[in-house]
Formats: sequence, C-alpha cells, structure tokens
Amino acid sequence: MAQAIVIKNLRKEYGSKVAVKDISLRVEEGKIFSLLGVNGAGKTTTIRVLTGLSRPTDGEVRIFDKDLKSELQEIKKLCNLSPQETAIAPNLTVKENLEFIAEIYGFSRSKAIEKVRQIIEDFSLQEVEDNKAKTLSGGWQRRLSIAMALVTEPKLLFLDEPTLGLDVLARRELWRSIEKLKGRVTIVLTTHYMEEAESLSDSIAVMVKGEIKAQGSVEELKLQTGKDNLEDAFIAIAE
Amino acid sequence: MRSVIFCRRTIKELLRDPLNYIFCLGFPLVMLVIMTIVDRSIPKEAGMVLFHIQSLAPGIALFGLTFVMLFTCLQVSKDRAGAFLMRLYASPMQAIDFISGYTMPLMIISILQIAIAFVASIMIGRATGYVFQPVNVLLCILVLLPSALMFIAFGMFFGTLLNDKAAPGICSIIISAASMLGGVWMDVDAIGGTFGKVCRALPFYHGVNAARLALQGRYDDLGKPLLIILIYAITIYFVSAILFKWKMQSDLK
Ligand SMILES: Nc1ncnc2c1ncn2[C@@H]1O[C@H](COP(=O)(O)OP(=O)(O)O)[C@@H](O)[C@H]1O
Ligand SMILES: [Mg+2]
Repeated sequence: MAQAIVIKNLRKEYGSKVAVKDISLRVEEGKIFSLLGVNGAGKTTTIRVLTGLSRPTDGEVRIFDKDLKSELQEIKKLCNLSPQETAIAPNLTVKENLEFIAEIYGFSRSKAIEKVRQIIEDFSLQEVEDNKAKTLSGGWQRRLSIAMALVTEPKLLFLDEPTLGLDVLARRELWRSIEKLKGRVTIVLTTHYMEEAESLSDSIAVMVKGEIKAQGSVEELKLQTGKDNLEDAFIAIAE
Repeated sequence: MRSVIFCRRTIKELLRDPLNYIFCLGFPLVMLVIMTIVDRSIPKEAGMVLFHIQSLAPGIALFGLTFVMLFTCLQVSKDRAGAFLMRLYASPMQAIDFISGYTMPLMIISILQIAIAFVASIMIGRATGYVFQPVNVLLCILVLLPSALMFIAFGMFFGTLLNDKAAPGICSIIISAASMLGGVWMDVDAIGGTFGKVCRALPFYHGVNAARLALQGRYDDLGKPLLIILIYAITIYFVSAILFKWKMQSDLK
C-alpha cells in the first residue's frame, strides 16, 4: 500500500517548550487517520508542520513521496486543510468563498463554479449560499470552513477538530460527509472526542504531551490495553 | 493568475465596506466643496491662490489617496488577524501573489477616486469660471499614480506591522502629515527655515507639487518633483514588499 505521509522523528520546539517530541508515523493512502489527544497534546502543531504553516525543528517528512522542506509548493497543491479555528473571508458570500478557494488551487472559473455547486449540495448550504459569511451562525461558518477544504478536491485532507462547535445533528452529517470520502481521499483528523475517532478512523495515534503513546486501529488499541472500549483504552494509554 | 483571483477577492472586500465610500469618496468631496467656499470668502487683495480650484483639485486628489492608504492598511491587518490567513498560507499562494493582489485593486480604486475628484473639480471650475484643459487633467492623473503607489505601499507597510486597532491611529498621523506638510492645506513654498526643509524632505510635497504643475501645464518645471516622487514611491513600495515577505516567512516559523 502506498504511503501518503511518512514522518520520521519529527520534532517541534517553541523556545524551550517541546510541542512535538520526535514522533514517527505512517499514513496509508486513502485511509482516515486520527490524532487523538487532550488539549495541548500537540495535535495542531503536528498539522501545522504537515501543512507548511510551521517549520519543523528536526526530523523528516515525506508527503506523497515528496520532501516537505524542498518540495513544499508541490505538496501544497495536493493538500487542503480546515484549520482548528473557522477560516473564511467575512465579506464574501458562501458561494464566493468556495469559488475563491477553488480558483486559488488552480481550478478554472467554469470548473470552480461546477465544483462549488456540488459541494453546496453535499453540505446542504443552499439556503445560505448567497449570504455573506460574516452573517452566518457559528455552526454554518464551521461547515463553510470545512467545505472550503473539500472544494479543491485534495488528495490529502487535514481536518483540525472539524466538529468543534457543531451541534449533534451537524456533527453526524459531517461524519457522513467524511465517510463518503473514504478510499478516495487520505484524511488526517484531530479530535478529542473518542466516539468521533472510533466511528471514523481506520487508524488512530494517541498523542500525549507531544509524544505518540500508542498507534493502531480501534481494535488493536483495545487489545494493547486489555480494555473493551476506546475511552478506557485511551485513559490507560494517557495515564 | 492567483494574484488576479486574490485581487478580485480584495476588490469585493473593499467595495462591500460602506466606510470606504464615506472616506475614500465622500470626505474628499466634502473638503473640495468646503475649501471652495473658503476660497470664495477670501478677499482678492489677499492674493491667496492655494484654494483656487486649479490648485485645490490636485491637492484634494492626493488627500483622497491618503485614505486609500488607510484602507489598504486596514485590509491587510484584518486579513492578517484571522484564521483565514492560515488557509491562504497553506494554499499555493506566495508572497508575490499577496502583494500584487493587494496592489492591483487598490490602484484601480485610486484611479477611480482621482477621476471622481476631477469630475467634481471640473464642475466647480464651471461654476467659478476656470476651464480645465483635458490633456492636463489626464497628465495630472498620470502624475498622481506614483503617489497612489506610495500610499498603497505605506498602507501595506503599516498593515503588516500593526493590528487593526493600532493601524487607524498611525494612518491618521500620516494623513495629517501628508496633507499639511505636503501643501494641500497650506502654502509650503512660502515656508522657510527648518519647517520648510522638513516639508521638502518628505515625499508628499513633491507629489502635490508635481500634480499641480501638471494640471497647470507647467511642463518645464514638472520633471524634478515627478522624479523625486517616483523614486520615493518605488523605494517605499520595495521596502514594504520586502517587509511583507519577511513577515510571512516569520509567521511560518
Ligand atoms: N506558537 C506557539 N508558541 C509557543 N507554544 C505553542 C505555540 N503553539 C502551540 N504551543 C504549545 O504547544 C503545545 C501543543 O499545542 P497544540 O499543538 O495546539 O495542542 P493541541 O492541538 O493538541 O491542543 C501546547 O502546550 C501549546 O501551548
Ligand atoms: Mg489543537
């Protein structure tokens, strides 16, 4: 199986603070990979490094067999990200936001319009498509922000706490959207919700204070710890 | 291509903010009318020509450009404040796409704004008995472009350095300095001493002066101030572009 991401001894320090401590990971193409950990574990920092938003202090990262340091510009064209904080252009409408991002990633005008039409349907954004992004409620903004990550048809998608601030229904709907991408898109998502990691991921890495403490499928993690649910397994690993 | 797409986005952001209309268009036009009324009430014997429309119009046009600086600054600092920037940084956008994507729309807005100031001035000229030469009006608009570029560069510079709370304060200092020391509201040519030297060492006076000479058809005197403002504009633009690029790299540390 081809690897989408190969990380070797990745380290990120902020001054004397070590946010990510020599982690090594592999993510297979087409799989959904979750970074599970409490606040401050280093999940966002890891995503920032992988998306070129932050430079690693040490270590080696290859994405689709391209070197993160020397081929970042090429890598960027293949990836997209939904940042932890909602990231939208406030004075553009929902449709314009989506078209803008699609075009920035190299879609022609007509292709962008077509793709946006489809994404608006997938995310049930029709009723707000002509509203300015800043007038939407937090939940709608969040959905737009995630839709903006998907509209560029990335080969590799980073979702940093995607369901933060979504209500139960919207969360389930987003899970369904993510599951639909399974096999076609490689997804790295971070979360601190056990049930989210459990229901979506092919593989989970438990991150504690900058380190990967355990890695595997939900079943493997339960086996490793001798627990019968992910939450207990997580607590056993994290403590 | 990405810069054109970013340019379209910036135009939309700018045109959808009503404050832009009030300050970029409304305020200069109001000042144009007020100063014309002031001009009419100054007795002829005083020999005061500063607020005659042929001298006032280029000054007002430059005054308007200082507000373009303010809005450049606010747009850049607002863009930098939000998580939206992270999304753009993670995209294939490069520093040059940002810089040209800010410059193009703001140059277009500057040209529109200057043109509107001249349409209003020509109407005032009709009413007060001054006939503008179309060729000189066009030349004057051209001569104001380096100043436009310079104010956009100032806006980018402070927008990169400051947040959107601090930006208006600094910009209002430059707006006042540019219009006073640049000779929009006072006759710098009549000022000597250190104060006069300061005025002439700054770029604004030369921008206003070049525009006035162009409008009044004094082509022989135009070269020097035009060259000075051109050098200032290009230098300041490069400094702010380099700052933006450097800041982007340090954001991605
Ligand atoms: N820019 C930064 N400067 C200094 N410390 C940081 C910075 N970003 C994150 N950290 C620290 O790194 C650690 C990991 O943070 P983060 O990656 O955001 O965790 P998570 O996303 O898992 O909640 C935290 O202790 C945080 O305070
Ligand atoms: Mg986080």
